[in-house]
Formats: sequence, C-alpha cells, structure tokens
Amino acid sequence: MRRRRWPLLTVLAFGYAFLYVPILLLIIYSFNESRLVTVWTGFSTKWYVELFRNQQLLDAAWLSVRIAAVNATLAVVLGTLAANALVRHRHFRGRTGFELLLTAPLVMPDVIIGLSLLLLFVAMQHTIGWPDGRGFTTITIAHVTFSMAYVAVVVRARLSQMDRSLEEAAMDLGARPLRVYLTITLPLIAPALLSGWLLAFTLSLDDLVIASFVAGPGSTTLPMVIYSSVRMGVSPQINALATIIVAVVTLAVVIAGISMRRGPEAR
Amino acid sequence: MATLAERRSLEPWQDPKAVPYLRIDRVTKKFGDVYAVDDVSLDIFQGEFFSLLGSSGCGKSTLLRMLAGLEYPSSGRIYIDGVDVTDVPAYSRPVNMMFQSYALFPHMSVEQNIEFGLKQDRLSRHERGERVGEMLDLLKITELRKRRPDQLSGGQRQRVALARSLAKHPKLLLLDEPLGALDKRLRENTQFELVNLQERLGITFVTVTHDQEEAMTMSTRIAVMDAGQIMQVDTPTAIYEFPTCRLVAEFIGSINLFEGKVVATEGNEVLVETRVGRPMRMRSFHPMVLGTPVTVAVRPEKMRLCADFRDDGVNQLKGRVEDIAYLGDVSIYRIRVGDGALVEMTLTNVQPRTEQALTWEQEVAIEWSPTSGVVLTE
Repeated sequence: MRRRRWPLLTVLAFGYAFLYVPILLLIIYSFNESRLVTVWTGFSTKWYVELFRNQQLLDAAWLSVRIAAVNATLAVVLGTLAANALVRHRHFRGRTGFELLLTAPLVMPDVIIGLSLLLLFVAMQHTIGWPDGRGFTTITIAHVTFSMAYVAVVVRARLSQMDRSLEEAAMDLGARPLRVYLTITLPLIAPALLSGWLLAFTLSLDDLVIASFVAGPGSTTLPMVIYSSVRMGVSPQINALATIIVAVVTLAVVIAGISMRRGPEAR
Repeated sequence: MATLAERRSLEPWQDPKAVPYLRIDRVTKKFGDVYAVDDVSLDIFQGEFFSLLGSSGCGKSTLLRMLAGLEYPSSGRIYIDGVDVTDVPAYSRPVNMMFQSYALFPHMSVEQNIEFGLKQDRLSRHERGERVGEMLDLLKITELRKRRPDQLSGGQRQRVALARSLAKHPKLLLLDEPLGALDKRLRENTQFELVNLQERLGITFVTVTHDQEEAMTMSTRIAVMDAGQIMQVDTPTAIYEFPTCRLVAEFIGSINLFEGKVVATEGNEVLVETRVGRPMRMRSFHPMVLGTPVTVAVRPEKMRLCADFRDDGVNQLKGRVEDIAYLGDVSIYRIRVGDGALVEMTLTNVQPRTEQALTWEQEVAIEWSPTSGVVLTE
C-alpha cells in the first residue's frame, strides 16, 4: 500500500505558514499604495521613497549598523580568545567558573542584562567619570557582553573539531606558536569566525530591550525607533524598512550557512 | 680486521667507540600519576633505521613526541648530535616528524604543504622552488603538486607527508606509524621504498609501530617497549631468535613456552625439567643455578617431525595432531602432547597439501635441537 503523504505535507505547510506568512504579509504590504497598513489598494514603492526621506529613521538605521559592526568585530575577537582558552587549556584554575560566566548571557533575560549594565554605567560615570553619558559606546559594550557568548559557542565547536596534530606539524616544521596560529589555526576556523561575526551583527541589529536601557538621548537605535513609532500607529514606511532588514538578514544567514557548510569538507 | 671494521660501520652499536647520534638518557614522562615512559635510556646511531615496537599505550608514541619536542620529559635528558635538546621547543629542533594522521594542511596544496617548513627557514623563493621540486621528484608526486589533501588517496597523502617532513633535510626523521593507514599490499611495497629512501638519503629514522612484521622488515634495530619501559633492544634477528624475556618472545611471532626448572648443567647446556615429557636439553648463554625457575622457548618452525622416537631421546615429544591451519606456503599444526599442553609446529608445504601424510588425530613425534631455542629466566 502506498503511504499517503498529504497529512505530513499539510503539517509541514502549516508549520512553514505559521513562521513565514507574517513576514510575507509584511513584505507585501510594504508595496501597498494605501496609508492604512491593513487595506490593499494597489502596488506602489512610494513608502520606500518616503523612507529614504525620513532622516530620523535613516540616522537610527546608520547608528544601528555601526554599533552592530563594531560589536560583531569585538565579539569575534573576545569570543575567539575565550573559546581558545576553553578548548586548548583543559585544566586551569577557575575553568568551570569561566565557562559558566561566559555562557550565562545566553540564558540571562535581556531585561536583567540591560538593567544591570545601566546601573553599572551610571555608577561608573559617578565614580570614574566614564562612560560620559550613554550612547554609542554603552550600547556597543552592552551588545558585546552577550554576543561574544554566541561567538564563543560557534568558534569553540569548530576549534574542538580541529585536528591538533595540524598545529603540531606546523610547529615541527619550524613555525613559532604565533605563526602557527596565524597560518594554520585561523584559516581553518575562519568559517566559524565569519558566521560568528554575522551572528553577532544580527543579534545587535535587532536588540531592543538592552539598547533601551543603556541608550541615552540622541542615540536611538533602529529597533527603538520602530518600536516607538508602532505605538503611535504603524506607518507603511516601517514595512518598507522591515522588508529591507529581512532581506539583509536573510542574505547574512545564507552567507553564514554556506561558509559553515564549506567548513567540514575543508578540514 | 677489515671485516670487523665493516661490521662496525654497519652495526655501530657493536663499536664501543662509536658516538650515538641520538642519546636518550634516563627519560621519564609522567601524566598525573601514570608513567607513560619510565626511565628509558637509548643510544641511536647515525644512519640507523630504529623502531620502537609495542602494543598501544606502551609509551612508544610519547617517547617519539618527546624526541620531536611536542612533549617535555618529566626527568632525564635528550641529546641530538651531542647537543642537549631536552628543553628546546619543537620549532627549533633539527628534527622533523611524520604524523600518523599525516596532518597535511587542508587549506594548502601539496606544493604549499611541502614548502611550509622551508618558508619558516626564510629560504629564498628560488631555493624553495628547487627544494619542493626535488621532493616532488624524490617521492614521484610531481603531478599531484597542485592538488589539495582532500583530493588525494591514502597512499598519496602518505607520500606528501613524507615529502613535507623531508623537505628541510633533517638529520633525524621521526615517523609515527608511517604505514599504519595504508592497506596491506600498499604497505608491503612502501616498506621497501621507505628503507631504500632512508639508505639513499642517509638520514637516521626513528619509527614507532605496533606491527612486528613492519619493524622486522625495515629496522636495523628494534626496541620492544611495554608499560613505558624498554624490554629489549636488538637487531630484528636477535629479537626473534634470542628474546631475553617472555614478553618479547611472545610479542614477536608465535612461540612454544615450557615452564620448568633447571635440574642439571653440562658445559654451556642446561637440563630443564618441565611438566611435559623428559627433561629438555637447551643451550644457555648464561651460567644457571640449579633449581632456577625458567621457561624453555622454542619457535614453531624450529620443531620438526621425529623419525626415530626413543624413550631416552633428547627434546622429543609425542602427541596427537589436533588442529591444522593451512596457510599455503606453510601449515601450522597444533599438537596435544603428554600432559595436555598444546605445542605449535610449522612445516613448509614442500609437497602439495593433498599428498601430505600428517592429518587430524594422528599420533606424531616431534623434536628440536638444543640450539634452536632459548632458556628464559623471567
């Protein structure tokens, strides 16, 4: 008897629909003529045009991208160092504690991270006078604290898969440890570094909660602008912006996926 | 005299005046409370093909890694060409190693892999190119030079790994299970090739292997290791014919062991009383005290059929054929003797199998000569 496939396919379709129909609707309505988000009146790209005239939104978007880029870079550096320590040094004093502290931000509620960092920044400003006010720097620091944990997880997985004898062989052939790291280790974990960077970039780009705590006046990130404008009624400009973000994020995820998949075979 | 001089150049370890190229002096390596290498001393001479032989976990790889500088001894010193290199890191030692996994850099082509070590020496581009070409020629892999490691077969990878480790012209090459990952036929061919290469280049090879056949075929000398210690160091022939302890005797090839004790000594021969048949008369290289518990060890191929069995015959046993393993060139017979012990005998199949007289359940008499075995004291 032939197995009937349609029940399974239905479930699958329902699952995908649940995940992606909202996004699809958002994209469709970004091309809506009408000012009302929920009523379709015709195709138009006028909201994209208006979006690019909206200086406040553009400023926020530019700020977010800058924060995300700096954050991703710092997170990759710190996360890689942390992953190195965990994979390469199996026994050092406080290893368990270090591992716990490193992974804690993965499970810590954003609200708590945001609030505690705000308290810290305020206290620091009072005592040592830095950071002077809140804005770009404080948001970036806050983002690095949690996104480096994600980077560490990704890089750690890659590092522990790596054959140690490759590094030993390089050393045996006369390369000093730093050189071994630069010429052998780094190229081999590069795919993990790239996907870690993209992951950190995306995490930072869509963070609303933590940024709301540690942002100051004049440093409004994109998610904050969107969130506040939604409360005053959704403008289709937001749909247009969201569509662009979805496109960028999708691209990033695809690149990360491809580079990770290329990984194992390059081993 | 000429023959003695010749012999000494071929077997420098026989020459008391020869200076070892590699000297391992009472080296111990502890991992936590475990002794991986336990007070090992070895002298290895220029041009030798030296094998560290032992089952897995016997410490042979750890010893090799200490020679490469990838592990540091807990105590003891290592000298290469008279220089104490014990604390010299791997990247500054005049030694190269071929790894068991080959450890080819996956993101580099064959050419770049071979060139890697030369780059570290800051050789000019021209010199590097020449040296890489030389290595590609030497190992006949020129047509592979643009390939990446994942586009190579196991045998090709082995060659590339060898080329890479030879590229810096090391005086001492360490090989960790060099043929371990190859299939049987390829392994046999490669064994001879490796020996030829070693003789041609005049490099001292130290290899680690668990394969006794491999060690026997290739080595000038073998060190048999067990539990971090060296049991015996000698030429393949001596290790096989004159093992000094039961462990070495049993590790290499198969052997019949008869436990007993010394009941008489006559000149350089001893009489050993065992549970099997009459006392055995064996040659002994050392004087023995009466009553010493010993083991008589005789290899299966040293046994022969006995035409005239006598009740007072020397080293003769009667038994019944219990198992026959036909291997083509030889057959192995397992013979149940007097007290129930099994004795193994190997006979060359001079006649086709079908015309052989020996068959299952047949009563046979076997014998061996006093010089074709050894008496082990431990």
